[in-house]
Amino acid sequence: MIDLSTGPLGTELEALASTLRQSVVEVRTRGTGAGSGIIWSADGLIVTNAHVARTDHATVVLWDGHELDGVVTAHDPRRDLATIAIDPGSVTLAAATIGHPTDLRTGDVVVALGHPWGITGSIALGIVHAVETRRGAPRWIRADIRLAPGNSGGPLADARGRVVGVNTLIAGGLGVAVPATTVSRFLEQVEARRTRSGARAA
Amino acid sequence: MAGPSTTTPPTGGVLESLSNDLAGAVDRAGQSVVAIHARRRIPASGVHWRPGIIVAAHHTIQREEDITISLADGTSVAATLAGRDPTTDLAVLKVDEAKAPVASVADGSAIRVGALVLALGRPGTAVTASLGVISTVGGEWRTWHGGAIDRFVRLDLSIYDGFSGGPLVDAGGRVLGINTSGLSRGAALAIPGSTVNRVVDQLVKTGRVARGYLGLGMQAVRLPAALVEKLSLPNDVGLMVVSAEPGGPGDTAGILIGDVLIAIADKPVGDPADVVSLLGGDQIGETLSTRIIRAGEPKDVSIKIGERPREPRDARDARAGRRGR
Repeated sequence: MIDLSTGPLGTELEALASTLRQSVVEVRTRGTGAGSGIIWSADGLIVTNAHVARTDHATVVLWDGHELDGVVTAHDPRRDLATIAIDPGSVTLAAATIGHPTDLRTGDVVVALGHPWGITGSIALGIVHAVETRRGAPRWIRADIRLAPGNSGGPLADARGRVVGVNTLIAGGLGVAVPATTVSRFLEQVEARRTRSGARAA
Repeated sequence: MAGPSTTTPPTGGVLESLSNDLAGAVDRAGQSVVAIHARRRIPASGVHWRPGIIVAAHHTIQREEDITISLADGTSVAATLAGRDPTTDLAVLKVDEAKAPVASVADGSAIRVGALVLALGRPGTAVTASLGVISTVGGEWRTWHGGAIDRFVRLDLSIYDGFSGGPLVDAGGRVLGINTSGLSRGAALAIPGSTVNRVVDQLVKTGRVARGYLGLGMQAVRLPAALVEKLSLPNDVGLMVVSAEPGGPGDTAGILIGDVLIAIADKPVGDPADVVSLLGGDQIGETLSTRIIRAGEPKDVSIKIGERPREPRDARDARAGRRGR
């Protein structure tokens, strides 16, 4: 018999939530309200949705309440992804562990963290409904999970707390996430463009 | 750019084993879940219930010819409609060869309040799932259309578009019943496996589920106190006949519009459901001794129970288009 409050399932879920919560930020921009973001690397790279980071600057609020100024460094409305750079200064950032969306199966447990309706650090539990692929690569992760608008830009994680996607929209009652593999490709392109333009400037 | 730097989450925990169990259940049970192409909208779901027999939700079958089903292995086969029962929202299709395993159906004891369950569907090529619990289990009930369902099973989970006709599955991948949103204003209900078996037996044998029929429309009315006293009636409610199908069993027995039915086989009736519950398929041909009040006087009338005629196709199509997923 599983004891949900103090038994292993409840304890694990709590531990997963408290670890993952440290890698989730609130993204505030002028006019568009608040969304969520994921600390992708400890040097201050935040990944969120393009529809969350519509302006050049954003305020990034860490899980412990620290507020940092962020600069929107890349913006891709087609994939609905954006990056925000923050200067952590003396603050230690906890980067999320990135998982493998290609390993997801229908029925796998997933967890979403974010700030739905402005409620900080809310967790939702669900399962993978379908992984939509295109030419063999995951294109969308559809999840049977209850999300709200403030979840946008926040993580969808697997049963081990590894980020497999960025919660992006709600369609037909399902949560729809951009797979982490798409985020990686986006970041590689951003990096390549930056290197190229850097070379031209030099 | 620095790489991810947090500690690796633990492996082999209960959450991960739950995840594996659920994905395994979807994989196993999903092999017998098919897509049914019998309407203009997105396909609906069905279950390979017995060899060559596919169970679907009646309301999703909107055409009776040119039905194809897609199997888990990606192949498509032609299917013929063996029969349908609008009263339980079930339909049975036959296929010559289905290269898919037959669903493993659990016995009814697995249907318990709080049981963790999955609803599966195949509204396209891939099997899809939603997770929840069984929220209510009640006794036998009758649908609005008079169908008898062994147990009332309400689900706390999402029945997504195209999910009706798909299986309710426990965490071990065993099928508990068929899900439908077509029986109760879109609410997620499951038809238990025992009811599905019974309906499948009848549909395979005769192509329909026979139901008894009086051809009378009735409405509960309160009887005047004086009349109740004069006739020493056990209660003050009766069923007034508001319509009588010409040539139907009630009409043939001489029942007139305005008659008030007060008892059948010496048992008082105060709700149309009391009458419907006496009209099972095995009652056809039996005689009901009914007591009515006409013009203030009691009268006994015998009605021979007929068989409910098949619903006209256009009425069925109109209704099927209106409700459910």
